Amino acid sequence: MTAEFGATAWGRAWLRTAEPVAAPPDRLRPKARSLARNHAVTSLTITAGQVEAEVAGHRTSLRLPLWDDAERVERLVAKALDNAGPLAPGDLPDDLAAAFRSEGIAIAVPPDALTPDCACAARRPLCVHALATLYALIQRIDETPALALDLRRQAHQLPDPPSPDWTPMSTINPAHFYKSPGETNGPTTSARTRVR
Amino acid sequence: MPDLPAPAAAPDVHPADLPGRLQLTFLPAEGTLAWWGTADVAAALRAHGLPEGRPSSARLAIPVDGELRSVLVPVRLADPERDVDALLKLDVPTGPFGDSVRTWREAARLPGIADGSVREEVAARMPPAAHAVPNDDGTAVMSAGAALGAFARTLRTRAELAVAAVDAEFRPYQLAGVAWLRSLAEDDGASGGGVLADEMGLGKTLQAIGLLATRRAGPHLVVCPTSLVANWRRELARFAPGTPVIVHHGPRRDLPAAPPPGAVVVTGYGVLRADDALPAIDWDVLILDEAQQIKNPDALASRAAARLPARLRIAMTGTPVENRLGELWAILNVTNPGLLGPRARFRQRFAVPIERRRSPAAAARLNALVAPYLLRRTKAEVLADLPPKQHSTITCTLTAEQERLYREAVDRAFADGLGSGIERRGRVLALLTALKQICNHPAQYLGAHDTGEDLAGRSGKFDRATEMLTEIADDRVLVFTQYRAMGELLARHLSGTLGTPVPFLHGGLGPERRDRLVQAFQNDPDAPPVLLLSLRAAGFGLNLTRAGHVVHYDRWWNPAVEDQATDRAHRIGQRRALNVHTLVTAGTIEEHVAAMHESKRALAGVVAGNAEGALADLSDADLRAALEGRTA
Repeated sequence: MTAEFGATAWGRAWLRTAEPVAAPPDRLRPKARSLARNHAVTSLTITAGQVEAEVAGHRTSLRLPLWDDAERVERLVAKALDNAGPLAPGDLPDDLAAAFRSEGIAIAVPPDALTPDCACAARRPLCVHALATLYALIQRIDETPALALDLRRQAHQLPDPPSPDWTPMSTINPAHFYKSPGETNGPTTSARTRVR
Repeated sequence: MPDLPAPAAAPDVHPADLPGRLQLTFLPAEGTLAWWGTADVAAALRAHGLPEGRPSSARLAIPVDGELRSVLVPVRLADPERDVDALLKLDVPTGPFGDSVRTWREAARLPGIADGSVREEVAARMPPAAHAVPNDDGTAVMSAGAALGAFARTLRTRAELAVAAVDAEFRPYQLAGVAWLRSLAEDDGASGGGVLADEMGLGKTLQAIGLLATRRAGPHLVVCPTSLVANWRRELARFAPGTPVIVHHGPRRDLPAAPPPGAVVVTGYGVLRADDALPAIDWDVLILDEAQQIKNPDALASRAAARLPARLRIAMTGTPVENRLGELWAILNVTNPGLLGPRARFRQRFAVPIERRRSPAAAARLNALVAPYLLRRTKAEVLADLPPKQHSTITCTLTAEQERLYREAVDRAFADGLGSGIERRGRVLALLTALKQICNHPAQYLGAHDTGEDLAGRSGKFDRATEMLTEIADDRVLVFTQYRAMGELLARHLSGTLGTPVPFLHGGLGPERRDRLVQAFQNDPDAPPVLLLSLRAAGFGLNLTRAGHVVHYDRWWNPAVEDQATDRAHRIGQRRALNVHTLVTAGTIEEHVAAMHESKRALAGVVAGNAEGALADLSDADLRAALEGRTA
């Protein structure tokens, strides 16, 4: 049976932030899980030290501290990746999670290290939208464990190189759609008057 | 992919948004160049003395109101064979042609277009119009380099097929398919893999044969269900007559330690499970046909397939595996080991998020991972390429039980003596009926005496039909048999395997029941996808045009009767392609009937009446040869 939240060691670490063992269950928990489950958390973006999303119409963000011993983290990552053999893209070996544990490096942050911010009117800092964002983050990390690293260290890698097989439409100038680049002579079709 | 938005249905282009001069764009799915750009493309092509090509429409991203939008544009597809030549001769500078035409002409002229640096140079001069094929979510278009690469691969594949003397006419999408299969290994030359998942009826076997024949280093291995071994041998001999074929099957099988280069060894999944000779050979291409057979990664056949050493590993299936994530993992685990990670991790990262909570992020990610290694085209997508009716003969094999019954029936009849005159006719007819029943299924022949518990695994034809009908998942199928008892056996068995009651329309049903079945098949979206019919019931003027496939389970003496049945599903002018599959058991009377049909069809419908009578008139020796499939 695979858990709905925290299916991997990486997601499970963050589940402890949403559901700390020591604290009594948060009464917002069922509602927050339901929001995440029912795709009410949209535009989820995960960058170093920050998670942003839109939850039921509210802009919500969570800020969190990066690892302070970046060098040690990099060393562990490099070692684990060397030993792991081929990995599917976006995945991380669970051995690395174990190595973090034995070196005393927390994958996730404790609840009080989170700085939630939400556009809703709720007075408590970790409102239902922020909590739902945390649950959506857990699911996203389960799907792509590598995000657990991106979240807590300075972006030191370039984003995925653009695929050579696809040209993003945003980079194409519609005015030069029919014209060979670098040629300036001749009538351009884009200048034609359009009649509707 | 599950729960991914299908490519947004693009609106038809407004004529005012067309550039007004001819353009050329490479369509990767069709594997050919498409002309477009004016309201009447055919007329514009005619005006320049160019071949008109075939009419179709393509989803292109073109400027509409100052931004790129995906729209459906009427196009004429250039025939890759003839029209590239016409393009070369074109006097482009003077004509009202877009720069896209000029750059594609340049590309077609460059012999070194397959070379990376030349390609980059041409790519740099290509206007977006030359490669404006959008991706599914409409955020990007195919790059100029990718379009040129696919074009070059197609040209090279065509040349290679000619060298390999492959005796078949490839439709453009099939040529694109062979080029794609070849490209899976080209990236690093060493190894590769992928899944050819075209819908049934589009010619996956032919595309695979194109791949095998153009890689002459060999040896190659084809693994297929036992029921298909004979069919592979037949198809290889037909389309690639120069390729040595070794059937490695049956208890007396014996494989040379080093099959000759370029040879194709054909074997069944059953043999694969237990054979020591197969993993000892260094295979070039491994083809796993009907790859649903390895959907369970724990099964012996799957583990044996994963262990076979091969440079290029191709799985073929007509079932849309991408909808069943466990199967997708199992198949890709054999063709592209490591791509999707270990099984437990795949469940955590993809299967559970997608199946249980419909995560669009996980589905998109999986789609991106798999897309380069999975090619699936549907009949609807390549409709412009398809003839209205495609006939195919599927050769099946007798099981050991069938072989024994068949031999006993023949021996008994000849030992008892067939007599002469009217008596001989009666006895020959009775024998023919018995043999046809044995080919259909031992249970039909034995009737009440049958003691077998299960129907599966006892008739090559029955098993093949079951596999085919399971595979035709998205379409509707008519299955004709001339025997009520056979129809009932099929109905019982298929209802179980397909998980839905499969109806059987036969002469014993009242007109009202018949009408209801026909109406449901034609109009009810939830009706079972398979309808069984007795051949005789097909005479009742039924209209069953929703079927995309017709299967003739057994042979009628007169091809006109079969044609009439086929025509229930096909009306002149119908804008969809129909596949007609005929099942024939190798080495039996069915082969003789099939050969007879061919010659009768060749006589343009002049049917020489009484075939049973003709058989009865043969000498004992000739009759026996016909019954044992030795005359075909």
